[in-house]
Amino acid sequence: MSSKEKVYSRHMQNKQAAKRISEWSKVISEIMSPQGKPEALSDTVVLDLSYANFTGTIASSLLAEAGAFVIRIEPPDGDPSRLMTPYGKTVEGTGIPYLMESRNKHNVILDIQNEEDKKKFIALVKKADMLIETFEPGLMDRLGIGYRQLKEINPSLIYLAITPYGQYTRQAKEMASQPWSDLTSQAESGMAGLIGGLPDDPEPYNWPTRAGFYTAGYTSAVSAVCSSLMALFFKGRTGQGQMIDVATADSYSSCVGFPPTVGYIWKKPRPRYGTLDYGLCPYGFFKCKDGYVAIACFRDQDFRAALRILGLWHIEEDWKTLLDRITDDIERAKTLNREIEKAVANMTFNEIFTKFQAFCLKAARSKWRGGGLPVTTRMLRPMEVMEVEHWKVRNTFFKVDDPSCGGLKLPVTGKMSKTPLRVKKVSARIGEDTDFIFEKFGIR
Amino acid sequence: MNNDYFSYMADAFDRTKVEKKSEALKGIRVLDLSHMIFGPKAANVLAEHGAEVIKVEVPYQGDYWRSATYWGKYWKHSNPMWHFINHSKYFVGIDVKYPRGKDLILKLAEQSDIVIENFASGTVEAWGIGYTQTRAVNPKIIYASLSTFGQSGPFRFFPGWDLLAQGASGVISSTGYPDTEHYFKVPDFYGDFYPGFFAAMLIMMALNYREKTGEGQYLDICQAEILMRSLFHFTYSSVTGEEIGRTGNQDPTASPSGIFKTSDGAFFALSIGTDEQFAALGRVLNREDLMKDSRFAGSLDRCKPENASELNRIVSDWMASTSADELRELRKSCRFPLGEVQDDVQISTDPWRKERGSVVEFDDPMYQKLVMAGSAAMMSETPGRVKWLTRPIGYHNRYILKTRLGLSEEDILKLEKEQVVGGWDYRVGQRPPVYYNIEEDKLFNYGGESDVE
Repeated sequence: MSSKEKVYSRHMQNKQAAKRISEWSKVISEIMSPQGKPEALSDTVVLDLSYANFTGTIASSLLAEAGAFVIRIEPPDGDPSRLMTPYGKTVEGTGIPYLMESRNKHNVILDIQNEEDKKKFIALVKKADMLIETFEPGLMDRLGIGYRQLKEINPSLIYLAITPYGQYTRQAKEMASQPWSDLTSQAESGMAGLIGGLPDDPEPYNWPTRAGFYTAGYTSAVSAVCSSLMALFFKGRTGQGQMIDVATADSYSSCVGFPPTVGYIWKKPRPRYGTLDYGLCPYGFFKCKDGYVAIACFRDQDFRAALRILGLWHIEEDWKTLLDRITDDIERAKTLNREIEKAVANMTFNEIFTKFQAFCLKAARSKWRGGGLPVTTRMLRPMEVMEVEHWKVRNTFFKVDDPSCGGLKLPVTGKMSKTPLRVKKVSARIGEDTDFIFEKFGIR
Repeated sequence: MNNDYFSYMADAFDRTKVEKKSEALKGIRVLDLSHMIFGPKAANVLAEHGAEVIKVEVPYQGDYWRSATYWGKYWKHSNPMWHFINHSKYFVGIDVKYPRGKDLILKLAEQSDIVIENFASGTVEAWGIGYTQTRAVNPKIIYASLSTFGQSGPFRFFPGWDLLAQGASGVISSTGYPDTEHYFKVPDFYGDFYPGFFAAMLIMMALNYREKTGEGQYLDICQAEILMRSLFHFTYSSVTGEEIGRTGNQDPTASPSGIFKTSDGAFFALSIGTDEQFAALGRVLNREDLMKDSRFAGSLDRCKPENASELNRIVSDWMASTSADELRELRKSCRFPLGEVQDDVQISTDPWRKERGSVVEFDDPMYQKLVMAGSAAMMSETPGRVKWLTRPIGYHNRYILKTRLGLSEEDILKLEKEQVVGGWDYRVGQRPPVYYNIEEDKLFNYGGESDVE
């Protein structure tokens, strides 16, 4: 631990702790570079047939970052998600979200509706550990290459299907032709209905609102990969493959778990809460003189600390306990929020940050546990995030050297000491590896 | 094949057969030292799939999230929002502050395959239960440290949680309407739950690697970084030099797209990603002329802001004159993405989710009936399952300390007297429901009986 580093815990301030932390810091410094290290999934072969569904594309990217050998299979015209990109902007014809998820993959063209190509596909399935597909339920089965046919050819195959409503249930059958989209998945899984202005805000600001990125896509992709890796582990022990079915209309509710239980316990839906929070107050970003600052008070002591620092101690009497602050009376919550807003508006981010930090450091040195830990941060736009020193030190953004990518940067995470995730190449040229793959696997 | 595909799948995923099927992670032992949501969620994903998860809490205090219910409303003296984060785990109360407590935790770690913690970076090392100490007694351990800013870099010791991660990563600044002062967070502590799932995924990568090579490792799992990994905004700015900004309820990668109000006041999302979907929309709107318009010829043209606005106006007018029931019927055949905005009650009572098992009604011996989220991904051979809801602090002390560490009743009584090991305070969130007779609970009073599980 360098002497300049600030610690926010009294547990870390004795000699023995300092010694232990410096030994651990050595482990940490060794994680920083993936060079020359093995990869967790280096002998796993994945076929990705994703079509007009980013969830599958993201899933295969995550596997490829962990070293899986991913064969990205597209029809001759390519996957239409190549062209789904903000405001229609591309890099040499490839959309940006697609390019960002074209990590470490091998791009192959195969027309699975063509008998000749289907044979080649089946030959690949024999060598594969995992298959990802996002077609309408039953389509692969009708072509004779669905789960029930392929498991006869390769009994240890892990077959991952991603669609809006899954592969079983009456609704899955009735709605089989509904295509995927991130926005409809956000809406149906209960997220959009919770984001947006307060009920008395003007229209359309109080309407259900989209989270500003592919939340549904990423959430479903991560749950899909997580289950696929459990299946891979099970396969390693038993030799048995299986089918994994992901329904993207479940993405948000299945991840956070609140909607089903809230609906059951209270029998009434939550209203959209603007910048308020259902569980904590204050818990949000407030406008200060030069930006937006997080005020997040969880425990009573954190709240009292914030009140002292913000010069609001006179209102403490009205908001003494956690239960006073997590009220379902929206007007009361707004009242407390307005008090915070007013106080914060007169301060700069640095003033607030410096005071909060000093308080935390002082509380950390105290043996008295009620000191509170009023933490804060500045709200950053993505462009600002890329300039933060902390992420530069952590190599969070990977810059692609390929000149045709024009200085492209990608976010990367997954710092594992033995098998860190990594980006080896970013390439999305349709079919560029077709010959290489067939040669490698001895397929004609 | 003669059989109907959906009948075949209904059988492969039959909910009534779940209990009879195997569990993917049976025999895997997880020591869950984490608290709040981020860490506990990661451990819960593993518990749901058969791992034996022991959650360690400070006696008489416990995980702070035990008492943090929405709107201050409790259910049977528990936080209803805690059960779905910590179901199917074993609950022990051990105080790390005492050397004997530290030893007990290290002994459990020695027998574990995976340790998960999410204290401020470095804290577990200071306590003597960190990676370096655990590795010394168990070289094969997979040790996952979860935090907001990661275990390295100048902010590494800075505490944080969901809101800070959402703000620092760019998520919040990307959500809301342009030209307003309101930036919305993704609610329900999404910045904890989603990275928690991601953490479980990284742990599974490490577990698969260990299965092949016998080698354990250390995982630095950073929640702000995981949120960043899910934004295409950085890549967009790096090549265009521009920002995406906030786009309200419109998706800038699909056009037309948005959330629209029907003639009877319901909300539906519509999002056109492909040419095929656009053609299908044209047919439904009786506007096949749109496809011939050069402004709307391909996805890239349609996504240009001025063209997207034009298309959104057309869709908005159509939706405003169409009822929710008409749209619900249309969804079965329209072949473009069209979905209803669903609220908590719709989700908790949705027959589809019940039939699918993504919303389950669980009957627990201590708390009885609770409706909660089921698995996020369904597995045909090793389905996930809920085994029991949460339990009071230290509920499994006797069971775990006796079966795992071979302690006797006398040992435990002594540890309890010294407050090294303990249970709950008589407070909501910590104690059992008032109607429940804990004195007759065989597992809580475990004395070595073979019929108790």
